[in-house]
Amino acid sequence: MTTEFNIVAGLQRPLAEVRKMFRDRIGTVHAPRPNELYVDIPLDLAAGFCAHLHRKWSARLVSVFADDVRDAMNTAFPFPGVDGLASFPPGGSGAPAVPPNGGTTERTGDDAKPRGVAAGVPHRGVFHLYYVYALDQRHGFIIARAAVPADKPEFPSLTDAVHGVNWQEREIQDLFGLKLLGHPNPRRCALHDDWPEVFPLRKDFDLRTKLPPFQGPRHKFREVEGEGVFQVPVGPVHAGIIEPGHFLFSVAGEPVLYLQLRMFYVHKGTEKLFESLPVAHGVRLAESISGDSSFAHATAFCHAVERAAEIEPPPRARALRTLCLELERIYNHLGDIGAICTDVAFVTAHMHALRLKERVMRLNEHLTGNRLLRGMACLGGVRFDFDESQLEQLAQLVATLQPEFAALVELIRDSSGTRDRLETTGVLTPDVARDLGIVGLAGRASGVDRDLRRDFPHAFYEQLRFDIPVLTAGDVQSRLALRREEIFQSFAIINQVAAGMPDGPIRTAVGDIPPDRTALGYVEGWRGEIFHWVRTAPGNRLARCKVKDPSLQNWPALTEAILGNIVPDFPVVNKSFNLSYSGTDR
Amino acid sequence: MIALALQTLLLLGLSPLVTGAIRLGKARLQNRRGPPLWQPYADLAKFLRKDMVVSEHASWIFSVAPYIVFVTALLAGLMVPMVSVAAPLSLFGGALALVGLLALGRFFLALGGLDPASAFGGMGSSREMTIAAIAEPAMMLAIFTVALAAGSTDLTRIVQTTLEPAWGLANPMHVLAFAALFIVLLAETGRIPIDNPATHLELTMIHEAMLLEYSGRQLALMEWGASIKQLVLMTLLVNIFFPAGIATEITPTALGAGLLAYAAKLLLLSTAIVLVETTNAKLRLFRVPDLLSIAFAVALLALFSTFLFP
Repeated sequence: MTTEFNIVAGLQRPLAEVRKMFRDRIGTVHAPRPNELYVDIPLDLAAGFCAHLHRKWSARLVSVFADDVRDAMNTAFPFPGVDGLASFPPGGSGAPAVPPNGGTTERTGDDAKPRGVAAGVPHRGVFHLYYVYALDQRHGFIIARAAVPADKPEFPSLTDAVHGVNWQEREIQDLFGLKLLGHPNPRRCALHDDWPEVFPLRKDFDLRTKLPPFQGPRHKFREVEGEGVFQVPVGPVHAGIIEPGHFLFSVAGEPVLYLQLRMFYVHKGTEKLFESLPVAHGVRLAESISGDSSFAHATAFCHAVERAAEIEPPPRARALRTLCLELERIYNHLGDIGAICTDVAFVTAHMHALRLKERVMRLNEHLTGNRLLRGMACLGGVRFDFDESQLEQLAQLVATLQPEFAALVELIRDSSGTRDRLETTGVLTPDVARDLGIVGLAGRASGVDRDLRRDFPHAFYEQLRFDIPVLTAGDVQSRLALRREEIFQSFAIINQVAAGMPDGPIRTAVGDIPPDRTALGYVEGWRGEIFHWVRTAPGNRLARCKVKDPSLQNWPALTEAILGNIVPDFPVVNKSFNLSYSGTDR
Repeated sequence: MIALALQTLLLLGLSPLVTGAIRLGKARLQNRRGPPLWQPYADLAKFLRKDMVVSEHASWIFSVAPYIVFVTALLAGLMVPMVSVAAPLSLFGGALALVGLLALGRFFLALGGLDPASAFGGMGSSREMTIAAIAEPAMMLAIFTVALAAGSTDLTRIVQTTLEPAWGLANPMHVLAFAALFIVLLAETGRIPIDNPATHLELTMIHEAMLLEYSGRQLALMEWGASIKQLVLMTLLVNIFFPAGIATEITPTALGAGLLAYAAKLLLLSTAIVLVETTNAKLRLFRVPDLLSIAFAVALLALFSTFLFP
């Protein structure tokens, strides 16, 4: 069957193959944007579909989430006879320009006989499960959607095959009340054990619900038993100004036998909150998902909404976004390099790193009015333009920072004691990293060559030349070195953008956003890939906003990396990942 | 009696200053403004005023430990010649008693860390004892080296001997013993590269981990005791190996000059500590015994060299 879908070339073959393979088992196929392909599948096909995409197309399952559409009037997918689709301009900012064509929806298989839940039955009284697959080499996303009937709220677990979705699946179970089948550890996760039986992300759960004081059972950690084995609880309240997370070490002397993590102490109901806000206010909420990635999260959110609204920010806005994303990367990487040094008590390097970081943050404030780049992002572009003198200052900062940073790198390199502490410490092997689906810089330090800036160029990245450094040792030293290389790349990116700064407006009016559109926004933040998926509601609101922070994916890497290391090395291993509690808990 | 009182006052008064000076020096070398010189005094005053929170699981050992740590450090300090060559106290063989008193203090420090049964305190105690097991013999050997040369373990006698012009500064025994004792000093006072006194990361702590459960007056005694112990060890180092300037007679001028010389020597040694702390990262915990074994081996060599190069 030939297809006239307006999709990127890379997705054509996987789509044809999927259709051939699953024939009439898959329902509607829909491509609202060239690199975002939705496929309706029956629930029992989720595992098979996943296996096929993974084996045949090396697809990564980057996000699994649910949506409550039990009362939705219609759904994001048009069904036969529903005239829901206008023509789409070239999709998100990152997609290669393909001329828009008409309706991009099509039924597969024989039209006449819908089979299974997915095949064209109006989605009344169901929950939707979304499985977002990234086909990195093919520059496209395939999003499988399966319906879970409300009267039988169960879904099969993929965790045994894809370890990386462990927490995400349990989160669906906790927040939507969909029971996991076949999960190896289906205990509470996002909502702790003492929560009452409520499902906050269901639409019939009112945002203002006041829960009674929690009286449920406390969490039981699994204990490692044996002679001389002790449990060392750390947290959830830590020394230093960080957020809560509980680490339970099982140790025999100093070596760590097993580490259990417990997150979600500050679950703030952010995704629910998005549903109560006008879209424009959502940008501010997105900024607060993870403070050190304010701009990346806000941009990912804007990206999703812009894609739903079928607009594209003007070139200058995209260039400014790129500058800000790289500034965010630089200041965070600088801070982390210093913090890694201070965790092995090489404080001198930390102080120099802090000094450099401070200069970037002051420039941030000068350019955007906020040290953390808050308030800069907005729908359709950015809020503030940089004038000539500001761009000049930016170029100057890079010019002076580059040699100073090189000197700092030398200082650290010359400290043999520091090297000795960092090398072979906290090794995350490439195999384990791939199994857990580790993303971002932690993945790239363990040989996982993935970067949305290259594979799914958003903002201005398609017009830039830069390298994606990848290391394979996976130890703390690699993660330090990767940050170092990325900072140098970021300097180069900023120079390129500043040199070829496009003119023109910095914002496109978003206008009214039609309801019931779904769109995936994505940004490679400094820590890794950030996804925001939205389903729009009438009145410029959102019916659902799913936030996927890289920390959620990467925390389990810590339990693997620490094995066999000694307790006093944990802080530096933890710091080398530097994951966000807030982004995980939301 | 007056000497006893004066030296006690000196130990109590000067020890926080040395701690403050090292902190300030580190801060300056790290491009920080740093806390003021007298911050440790302010901290002690604050701790002494504050209430204590004592874990309900703690026994009497927990409450007794700070006093023992404090008193043993102070007693040890009274046996070391500071400004004057005559130490006000000499008990049970001088140097032996000094090492023994410090060991007693450490023993109770470790017990105090274990007693409330918190995870961090136990880790700190276990690490402290691991390090002490090698640091203590190294210290004994280094002191014995000079004691052998002096023919006495009495510290006053030792300093008097090293004051003699015949005593060469650059003989191998002298240099080796000093090196060994310097490493021991870093270990005993919880300095980088063995421990990091400025960290907030409980999992990496050694000395601080044992103090985590202490508060108020008990914490003040612990901190003060640690400062005094540090001053005692530093005094030992500067006065045994570089006794120049120490007052040999009890006159106001001699004592005044002795005090100045003492302060100058302490400043130099503090600077050395600051430099080591600023230019080094902390060792992996399991490499710390390697470093201390080096100290031990060096001390042993020093001991041998007293016979080889008499």
